[in-house]
Amino acid sequence: MAKHAYRRWTMPLTLAAGLVLGAASGWWVMAHAGARGVEVNGWTGSSVAGAVDADPWTRAQVAVRGLLALNKSQAIYLTTRRDDQGQPLREGCRYRVSGGAMPARWWSVTVYAADNFLPINDDDALSFDATEVRPDAAGNWTALLASKRDGDGAWASTRNAGAFDITLRLYNPAPAVQADLHAIPVPRVTRIDCAGGAA
Amino acid sequence: MTQGLKRSLKLGLAFLAAAAVGHVGIVLATPGALMQVAMKRMSHGGEIINAFDFGARTTQKSRWVVRPSPDLAYSSCVYDLSKGPLLIEAAPSPGNGYVSLSVFDARTDNIAVFDSNQHPQGIRFVLAHAGQATPPGATVVISPSERGIVLDRRLAPSAELFAAADKARRADRCEPITG
Repeated sequence: MAKHAYRRWTMPLTLAAGLVLGAASGWWVMAHAGARGVEVNGWTGSSVAGAVDADPWTRAQVAVRGLLALNKSQAIYLTTRRDDQGQPLREGCRYRVSGGAMPARWWSVTVYAADNFLPINDDDALSFDATEVRPDAAGNWTALLASKRDGDGAWASTRNAGAFDITLRLYNPAPAVQADLHAIPVPRVTRIDCAGGAA
Repeated sequence: MTQGLKRSLKLGLAFLAAAAVGHVGIVLATPGALMQVAMKRMSHGGEIINAFDFGARTTQKSRWVVRPSPDLAYSSCVYDLSKGPLLIEAAPSPGNGYVSLSVFDARTDNIAVFDSNQHPQGIRFVLAHAGQATPPGATVVISPSERGIVLDRRLAPSAELFAAADKARRADRCEPITG
């Protein structure tokens, strides 16, 4: 009797387990897997975000991580969660972001916490943009990522951001970078120091 | 092949097939499901349809959609084309500041986008579902779905610029075509 019941339920249970595992793997790919698309010096972006020709996995990733993203004719989004040494970005450290002229009408860099929302702080410094940095004669600029302001240069607050990432937005990007994301001179993220003295 | 081995093989194949269905199913279903949630939130539970809703300045408390930009002023119009096409207009921002109007269908695809570079005097188009009659001569965007979202983004990286963009966007229109 018990053996009969076991055999009767084996197939439904197998199918249910397969469905659950498959759905879980699908969710993991959407929420956590590396962005399907292009890697540019440690930053990842997609040239098909929002586009009608995006494949189902890219469309799902964009829906979970950046619903209502614009297509590349309007905006290009690149995200990094690591510094130039490959270490994860974290609230306890200070970072220098450095770059040059960006091939776009306007650009910004924004801090996001691990939940894909802005960090909960009232510093009114959730990003810095093209109007805030002070380029030198060669067009090069720097900005600070830290939990506290230091000096009067461009700064984005990482207070309460935990393990965070940053997104570079290029609005009205030049045709050359729309065609090839590798042509974007992405900023460099260099760790300055960390709480407790570790560099 | 023994009876037991055959059964194990059958179960293994059934597991793999079910896993594939589960994986592909959630990947295909998620964008539409998240758009439904976004449309419900942006329309305030269905209260504001075919009209622009002007969002407050983005802050750390903004939770209506993931990864919002704190440098932009957002306005949204949740559209429903079941009763006919809509006229969509966006007024320019002062100083020809960046403005874009983007249309997203129910599958999250960005089916059309217009910006202030192309249209410095303002953006105007008709949004229709396939097969609907539209005014002659109008710029027409055909939405594959009856419902979706039109999003107005304006550059507003400071409180002062947000106030100026907010004043300008009050002239936006998202409304049924009359006459």
